[in-house]
Amino acid sequence: MLQGNFSSIREAFGRTLVKLGEADKDIIVITADVGDSSRASYFKEKIPERYFNVGISEQDMVNFGAGLSAVGKKPVVVGFAMFLMRAWEQMRNSIGRMNLNVKVCVTHSGYSDSGDGSSHQALEDIALMRTIPNFKVVVPADAAEVERSLPEVINDRGPLYYRMGRDYSPPITSTLDYKFEIGKAYVLKDGDDLAIIGAGVVLWDALKAAEELEKMGISTAVINLPTIKPIDHSTIEYFARKTGRIVTIEEHSVIGGVGSAVAEVVVKTYPVPMRFVGATTYGRSARSQRELLDYYGITSRNVINSALELIK
Amino acid sequence: MEKGGRDGIPISVDELNKLKGTADRARKNVIKMQFYDQSIHVGSSLSSVEILTALEFKVLRDSSDPINRDWLILSKGHAAPALYAVLHEKGLIKEEELWKIQDISGLLQGHPETFIPGVDMSTGSLGQGLSFGIGVATGIKMSKGAGRVFVIMGDGEQDEGEIWEAMTHAIARNLDNLVAIIEMNGFQLDEATKDVKPKEFLPEVWRAVGWRVFNCDGHDIASVISTIDEALKSKRPAVIFAETRRGKGFTPIENTKRQRTVPDVARQFLLNS
Repeated sequence: MLQGNFSSIREAFGRTLVKLGEADKDIIVITADVGDSSRASYFKEKIPERYFNVGISEQDMVNFGAGLSAVGKKPVVVGFAMFLMRAWEQMRNSIGRMNLNVKVCVTHSGYSDSGDGSSHQALEDIALMRTIPNFKVVVPADAAEVERSLPEVINDRGPLYYRMGRDYSPPITSTLDYKFEIGKAYVLKDGDDLAIIGAGVVLWDALKAAEELEKMGISTAVINLPTIKPIDHSTIEYFARKTGRIVTIEEHSVIGGVGSAVAEVVVKTYPVPMRFVGATTYGRSARSQRELLDYYGITSRNVINSALELIK
Repeated sequence: MEKGGRDGIPISVDELNKLKGTADRARKNVIKMQFYDQSIHVGSSLSSVEILTALEFKVLRDSSDPINRDWLILSKGHAAPALYAVLHEKGLIKEEELWKIQDISGLLQGHPETFIPGVDMSTGSLGQGLSFGIGVATGIKMSKGAGRVFVIMGDGEQDEGEIWEAMTHAIARNLDNLVAIIEMNGFQLDEATKDVKPKEFLPEVWRAVGWRVFNCDGHDIASVISTIDEALKSKRPAVIFAETRRGKGFTPIENTKRQRTVPDVARQFLLNS
């Protein structure tokens, strides 16, 4: 059972990371001067000797982590999603190519860094990271799922990209009882006429859409797909066959992200019509992440409209 | 800049002559490799032969324990043919593999990969070896190991931004088990280094950042060994600026930006040498 009852993604991350570090002396936390913003700095308070702030140096941070893992350490590289992308080539050529045991844990993905604007909003990272051979990609749905999945992530062997937002964490999985496994999709709600598949905090919008669709007499399933890679083929195929229609939702570009990954499975197993709800361009500044999701149409309303297009 | 010099060379004349013979054979094998593949970086490789020979035969300490052995990172990964030729002298790579370099059925890749015996880091993309080396050296110290880390870079490679990130980082980690070697052969892919970006200030910058800075003749094995010996005594990260020549010992391309020549010219050169 979950202990934390966290309401913030990064709080859940920071606190859970400390617990894991206290239990395993090989875990080393590295950040590029965003320890406080990511809450990785909680680790520094408890275990300063295994915490490194390398400065505003993402490329160096990635290869530093690669080197530590080469001598048996378990480095956890922490940064903003957007700025880790400037070290994409380092992640590809060093961590991925040598298949090293480095966990790249990012915060501030999607629109979560609402105030800072488009320079800080990573809407392309899932696409970039899932193309790197050997890398796994995990996107927790909410703070509760961070607490539940992080131990599995840290104890997994090999390269892994773990994508988090900041504070916004509407309740999605907190009341559920399940054991998190990398590579597994989870049925949040079963249904027969339509499947909504998504990852991250926008699953809250998916659940809300399903509620409305049920009122219209459309039996709607909602699938939480926290592991984008390796993807859960069988669950996706099962719902493609069962419902015949899929809408995906993600806080990421509709090019190359969660929807694309689902489509790649669907066309190979049981092709069905699909619609994709997600970002199509750069973001902008706003006072909250929620405002931006609404502004760019990553909403239950858009999921419903997409569903009705498929059902008409 | 501190001179490595020849004083107190920890090596006998006999041993030195043996190492020179090893380096000469490796050099010839690098030149020969271009008979089999016309795209390898012969010029850059020949710049590294003596440094690699000195490290592999006289400096590196082996162990099955990753924290108690020495690590060699060829950050200028395009000099892979030189590394392979020296590893062949060490008995780690078979001769027939040298001739299959870059062949689809061969073991040896255009740039180093860790699945090749004797390779500690997969490289090829410039500017990444030093950061990796800092990670290895830090991990070794955290585990109280005795291993030391050597990172070989090129002068052109110093253009990369990650080098700046890493050179300042190494000082913050206070590493005394890390030695960087920068080969100043004066050329990068397109042009002479000085015609691309200024490089002469580099030793001053590394010193100002906090590194112990040495220089040596990168083609004089005794100079390389004694300078590494001095560098290892440093309580701070140490960098050796090694004066080398692109294409050293292969006159058709020596001291030019040319990486290779046509096989006939190479064949004639080897017959005459």
